[in-house]
Amino acid sequence: MDRTGHTQSLRSTLADDPDYAALIETFIAELPGRIAAIEAAVRGADAGRLRTIAHQLKGAAPGYGFGPIGDAAASLEACIDASADGSLTRATDSAMRLAALCRSAASGAKPA
Amino acid sequence: MNPPEPHDDAPSRVLVIDDCVDLHRLLKVRLSAEGHELFEALSGESGLDRARQVDPDVILLDLEMPGLDGFEVLRKLKEEPHLQEVPVIVVSGQQAPSDKVTAFDLGAIDFVGKPFDMAELRARVRSALRLNSLMKMLAQRAQLDGLTGLWNRSYFELQWANEAKRSRRHDNPLSLAIIDIDRFKEINDAYGHPAGDAVIQGLARLFQREVRGSDIACRYGGEEFALVMPETPPDSALALCERIRETFGQMTWARHPARKVTFSCGIAGSRVGVPIDPQDWLEIADGNLYAAKRSGRNRSILTDLTPEPGLRRVG
Repeated sequence: MDRTGHTQSLRSTLADDPDYAALIETFIAELPGRIAAIEAAVRGADAGRLRTIAHQLKGAAPGYGFGPIGDAAASLEACIDASADGSLTRATDSAMRLAALCRSAASGAKPA
Repeated sequence: MNPPEPHDDAPSRVLVIDDCVDLHRLLKVRLSAEGHELFEALSGESGLDRARQVDPDVILLDLEMPGLDGFEVLRKLKEEPHLQEVPVIVVSGQQAPSDKVTAFDLGAIDFVGKPFDMAELRARVRSALRLNSLMKMLAQRAQLDGLTGLWNRSYFELQWANEAKRSRRHDNPLSLAIIDIDRFKEINDAYGHPAGDAVIQGLARLFQREVRGSDIACRYGGEEFALVMPETPPDSALALCERIRETFGQMTWARHPARKVTFSCGIAGSRVGVPIDPQDWLEIADGNLYAAKRSGRNRSILTDLTPEPGLRRVG
């Protein structure tokens, strides 16, 4: 929450750069698909798919000005890599945190 | 083909091999703004194919990709003669020291971790392109003759073999001329080596002015030159060499204005592809050169290798 009591959205740090406007718009437009993919991978316990999504977001999201999404994706990737048995038990919270940040960027509502 | 100019204004070709579409979009906008031409591949396999097609000036390569991974792509790139010198910058989220060591050992010239700072990546691409340009310049210099700026003998040998093969494969005309300046030693002895050098350089300039873009003019050694004329039938080759010979014979030289200089020329050519070994073809042209010398110099002798070989003397 900001000082006026309104919830802030996750906004690209490059949002004011006209060179990035169309790029960021496309990235945001595709976030709902990524959120659905993250949730589906968690439901299906598909660690490989979840790791690929996390790996790609880790590399790309900061380039679009969404550093927090990149950080959350890096945490999720590390969590999956640290899982000795390939289960998503410990990664689920991390995945949900990443999905929530993506949702915030896509819809304009910052997660709690 | 005269040696290319050292400065080339064509946009640099940057090939990005990465399975992440977002990264391609980002790099396309940011690197195109620098004047680079971007090519994309979403997998290791398609990246190798794309590299063979576009002959990139630099490759940005991800490591973690489904199918062929970045290390494997790098290994294969370094095995291909036409691609092994292309600088490869690894751009990867895999940043363990062992990954970096492997990438550098396989021939990468740089390693950028993901996420990356765009300004830094652009600077590293510029740096790789500068290095590539210097490497190309060095490679080309190794094939140029220092005195004349024409191609040198090693380049001639490579290109002559290639053109002979191409002519045979496509059934195209091809001609070769071997040219030697007459009584060159006398010029050196009478007027000094700078005078001899000036004659060699004068003839080289004449070649550069008179030959077509597809012809390959080389200094074969000493006062001897070779002229490869792809897609040129023997009569056209003879006409070109005769025109150059006549112009050369009329030139006036600052160090010896009263003394004209001539050359003799041996030509062997065919109107169609012929199954003759390039070395044998060269020896026929060389034999004609010595025949021209023996029969009085300042003339060209041609052997038409197809379809009915004949020998005729001109000049």
